[in-house]
Amino acid sequence: MKVSLSVAVATGKILTALSRRLGFGAGSNFPGKVILRMRPEAPEEIASRLTGGCVLVSGTNGKTTTSNLLAGMLRASGLQPVHNKVGANLMTGITASLAQASDRRGKPRGDIGLFEVDEATLPAAIKRLTPRMVILTNLFRDQLDRYGELESLSRKIDAGLKGLSGGSCILLNADDPLVASLGGESTARKYFYGIESEDIGEIGLRHAADSKNCRSCGEKLSFSAHFFGHMGKYSCPNCGLERPAVDFAATRVELKGTAGSRLDISTPLWNLALNLGLPGLYNVQNLLAAVGGAELLGLDDHNIEAGVEGYSTAFGRGERIPIAGRTLFLVLSKNPTGFNEVIRTLGTEGRDLPIVAALNDRIADGRDVSWIWDVDFEELAPLARFIIASGTRAPDMALRMKYAGLDAARLTVEGNLKKALDKAIERSHEGETIYALTTYTATLDMRRLLTKIGVAAGYWEAN
Amino acid sequence: MPGMQLRICHLYPELMNIYGDRGNVITMVKRCIWRDIAVTVTDITLGEAIDPADFDFFFIGGGQDREQILVCDDLSGDKGQAVRQAVEDGASLLAICGGYQLLGKYFLTYTGEDLPGISLFDVKTVGGDTRFIGNIAVDCEVDGIRAQLVGFENHSGRTRLGPEARPLGRVIKGYGNNGEDGTEGCVYKSAVGSYLHGSLLPKNPRLADWFILRSLRRKYELEELPGLDDALENAARDAALQFTMKEKRFRKRFGR
Repeated sequence: MKVSLSVAVATGKILTALSRRLGFGAGSNFPGKVILRMRPEAPEEIASRLTGGCVLVSGTNGKTTTSNLLAGMLRASGLQPVHNKVGANLMTGITASLAQASDRRGKPRGDIGLFEVDEATLPAAIKRLTPRMVILTNLFRDQLDRYGELESLSRKIDAGLKGLSGGSCILLNADDPLVASLGGESTARKYFYGIESEDIGEIGLRHAADSKNCRSCGEKLSFSAHFFGHMGKYSCPNCGLERPAVDFAATRVELKGTAGSRLDISTPLWNLALNLGLPGLYNVQNLLAAVGGAELLGLDDHNIEAGVEGYSTAFGRGERIPIAGRTLFLVLSKNPTGFNEVIRTLGTEGRDLPIVAALNDRIADGRDVSWIWDVDFEELAPLARFIIASGTRAPDMALRMKYAGLDAARLTVEGNLKKALDKAIERSHEGETIYALTTYTATLDMRRLLTKIGVAAGYWEAN
Repeated sequence: MPGMQLRICHLYPELMNIYGDRGNVITMVKRCIWRDIAVTVTDITLGEAIDPADFDFFFIGGGQDREQILVCDDLSGDKGQAVRQAVEDGASLLAICGGYQLLGKYFLTYTGEDLPGISLFDVKTVGGDTRFIGNIAVDCEVDGIRAQLVGFENHSGRTRLGPEARPLGRVIKGYGNNGEDGTEGCVYKSAVGSYLHGSLLPKNPRLADWFILRSLRRKYELEELPGLDDALENAARDAALQFTMKEKRFRKRFGR
């Protein structure tokens, strides 16, 4: 069945409205699927009518935060981005977002497309949307059961980048040796961002590091500073490969626990002093990516500052929600590197913490939960007053905590998320913060639960 | 069990650790500590030699193609022979996925890379154009581990057992060695190769204890190990077995 663009768009909108009404969340995948079936070229058609072109943000971690930060900056400059902000980052989700932002004839009500794109979808998205810029945050082994191995994924991304037109540009994370090596055969201009602050980072790599060998000769890389995962300042002792020179650099980083960080950022055009309300070094990198993207799109320094200032937390990325006289701190924790950073940040919050850790194994989380054995829960155990293991794989999470050194008295298994939350409230004190560390669909479940209780707005309305 | 010691050799921990395979080492360590058995873990990586007499238990996990090539090369000389010698002398060993493939006769990858193994296991592996991905349940056939094992497999390699080889068990649900003959893994003396991630040992404590017992018997007179409270381990295994049995199967094209 092939229909006109306006019929496809209208159908998509009706389905989106319907699935929201029925409580399927933002319901972004199904409507997109229908639109693509009815009119396969719909995304190309709508995207080509965006006067400001398209920007794609991809990578394992930080897509949502980076694109939300960049969207804030674009809005501050008076532009209207068309943006898939609920983490619907497959071609279906992007298509639904484009349709949702269009009028009846399929003309987008916005100036520029800003899409976070699933790593495995990136080559297809580049082909369809002919972006003017691609931002790559990092590549970790997240959901390898979906993506195949990191190696073949990076080869595919490289092939995708090769298809970029000469007038476009690629913004890469220099701290990630794998990402920094990409785009070699592309004619697009390459730019790099990274952390240059002298006093940040530790010596030696953690076991969760994924890409520790030189991309050109295979030798083990040597790190003069190590941030997290395989991020850092590296060089190859054998062939002399170096971390690329950085265009957008954090020259000073002052981390302030879950409160965020204070940063000095140097770009080709400006020196910026920014307060970022998001925790951890990984968010410093996300901000650098957004700042680089904004500058390359021609935004002014005050647009960037205003965008950061007005930033509201991406769904589940460190939200604080008041509930029953306590604060629920909701952090998406979906892979070893992300989880380890969250644990490191919690280390600055003191001891005796009430914690809910929810592990789901739905398709969007990855069916394989083996990755929890790569997380340094040994460092979380001493921080916890209690941990309530929850989610579809609650017993696996509990078992991991047992082997991480959490004694039985501090460990509870409660698969039902609502009951887990109730228990956490019951066992914590008035005014205390409960830390909920949740995988992707567990974060969705928690958000839905909080909306139902009435303490949080539906996430598609939240920002 | 004061006075007893178990020495673990973790082979290529930074190269061969995909899908949380280090959980197997964590499990061995903890289950020793809980029984008051002294335990040491030595990481051995590229370019470092092994004395077969230095270790009671060896572990090698899965890895990606690139890492497998480096390790294959490193194992090709004396080092691979030292691992074989240790197993001949009674040491126990667990090799998962990519590590299992490299301890067989060879692994011919789908892209045509020919990786010779150390022939500890009488198995040959050839890469296929689809990946076997999903939860897996196995009936373990090894003496002393009459149990159902559960884990998660993710491999393109199809492994065939040679005439000398005994499988670790029969697949109840999933693919196992090759998706065709119903076998999973391989056992030789106290060495086990398997495709099960998960990690394998945490949810399969009887297999973990089998390794501990076999490793200790090399040095000490020992009938059995003191029991531990495995309520959580068994609950996690039973839950995983239950939904694995209920699952529908889908086969994924390699690399999409």
